Amino acid sequence: MTTAPYGAVTVEPFGDSAVMVTIPHPEQTIRRAAIVAFRDRFLAHRPPGVLDVVSGLESLLVEFDPLRTALPHVEYAARLVAEWAPAPTTGAGGAREARTFEIPVVFDDEAGPDLASVARELDRSPAGVVEAIADSTFTISLLGAAMAPMMDGLKVPRPVRRRAEPRTDVVPGSVMIAGTNAIIQPFPGPTGWRVVGRTPHTIVDITRPEPVSFAPGDVVRFLPVSRAEADGLDAGFLLPVEDRA
Amino acid sequence: MTTVGLDITHTGWVTTFQDLGRLGSEQLGVPTGGAADQHAAVVANLLAGNPAHATLLESLGGELALVPDADVLLAVTGAPAEVTVTGMPADTWTPLVVPAGQEIRVRPDTGRGMRTYLAVNGTLAAKRLLGSAAPDARMGFKQTVSRGDRLLLETEFRGFSRRPFEPSLFRLPVPVPRFDEDIWTVDVVASHGIHDIPGVRELIEDSVYTVTPRSDHVGLRLDGPVLHPDGDAEIVSHGVPVGALQIPHADELIVLGRYRSLTAGYPIVGVASRACLPLLGQAGPGRRLRFRWTDRETSVHRSAQRAAEVRTLAHAAAGAFAALGFSAPLSRTNREDILN
Repeated sequence: MTTAPYGAVTVEPFGDSAVMVTIPHPEQTIRRAAIVAFRDRFLAHRPPGVLDVVSGLESLLVEFDPLRTALPHVEYAARLVAEWAPAPTTGAGGAREARTFEIPVVFDDEAGPDLASVARELDRSPAGVVEAIADSTFTISLLGAAMAPMMDGLKVPRPVRRRAEPRTDVVPGSVMIAGTNAIIQPFPGPTGWRVVGRTPHTIVDITRPEPVSFAPGDVVRFLPVSRAEADGLDAGFLLPVEDRA
Repeated sequence: MTTVGLDITHTGWVTTFQDLGRLGSEQLGVPTGGAADQHAAVVANLLAGNPAHATLLESLGGELALVPDADVLLAVTGAPAEVTVTGMPADTWTPLVVPAGQEIRVRPDTGRGMRTYLAVNGTLAAKRLLGSAAPDARMGFKQTVSRGDRLLLETEFRGFSRRPFEPSLFRLPVPVPRFDEDIWTVDVVASHGIHDIPGVRELIEDSVYTVTPRSDHVGLRLDGPVLHPDGDAEIVSHGVPVGALQIPHADELIVLGRYRSLTAGYPIVGVASRACLPLLGQAGPGRRLRFRWTDRETSVHRSAQRAAEVRTLAHAAAGAFAALGFSAPLSRTNREDILN
């Protein structure tokens, strides 16, 4: 886990039972990495009365019970954590080891209807875009809506734009990119991300006690496969490399 | 412990298993969800002798009806509703006994509130996702209860030594919200977004907003005057509290509900007080709302008052059940359960 350099955090009240924590820094990449690091520390040293947290791209919403704690306590705890708390991975035991995922993906026009337009945007061929995705090593930064793994680490010459008109119904397993991020769609639904491929794996299985096998900090690589190879995989629930042996 | 069958003979427009929602799921990208009117859900459970977070039924409009195959202790709360047991009028917001083989029907007055809650003493068998029976449509976790379903209940209730048609067994200090006013007033704590839109504070305070039919459990969409920020400052995806007042690009105001997701690009001018969220959970299309700015301390104070009322009820109900020789699992009702 990265230990991004950051100093003070900004803690803003948000209604009567939440605060929004952000990390002021002129560079976007540092703001984003720092808030992930902050989130891990804050959860590892969670103050009493804090009910849950919601990760944003550059912020952390901290929800608390105002009858068990009070705004100044939560704010103080956030500042303490930012300045003093060690990253949980450096703590004694306890922290979960990062896992590695190798995810087969079909990259063709049917599975990835935005592949061609992304290629034009980046002045590359569609095969070149697939190559860039396959050469990238992603780290899961947070779980987005419905536990979708949101990843950082796409190696492209410039950030990929979102769609001007969001798609209304993207199928589960769709691999999507925007900026230097990638995400996998776990359930049918709308998205403004660019759809470039599809994995045959089930990303989220709500019938399992633990509906996903990944967590923030895990490492992901995408392996291009043909449609026939994907069909032959009998893919099922996505598991990390460590659990497949 | 006995297993009782509850035959569903009619449902609301939508009837689902429900509880107070998921704890700790938002860090996994899953909204807390749970009963839209948390106060009504908690009180229904307490009146049925259950822990506050027990699984119960939430019905939107329509007419829920069921027939138990053994005597059951239950309570109906939420929107003002006409309740009958075997065709005879029965009360809401109080413990009721429904005898074996008899039908209870619950028909909310949707002009005054949208959702009713029916809690039955014991544990309803229901699927769970991340520890909660609350539905999550986005993840395909529907939890819908349909006509013809037979729900299973594990209960220790063996009946009271009273006849079911005698006057109400209990005189409990029940905090029953009023839904009588033509325009409901919602307290709101201002948030940072309000500074980006000059005049919006006064405009919202002076206007009346009407809930439109495009509202759902993600948010109430309101017709009424709004203002937009001048600049086009980028707002990246971020989490928002339940009850956030958001102004989208269109001319409407959105109050986000318990199934909201991350939001981006739209200013958030305030967040409804926790104490007003149950009321918002009862608002349906056509409902008129007025917003009143309040400070954080006053807002928290109202929450504390509400929590104290619920605590008083919890103790009184536990005492009443004990006096009747019926030991409900109320000892497990703690502060955390009640407050969430």
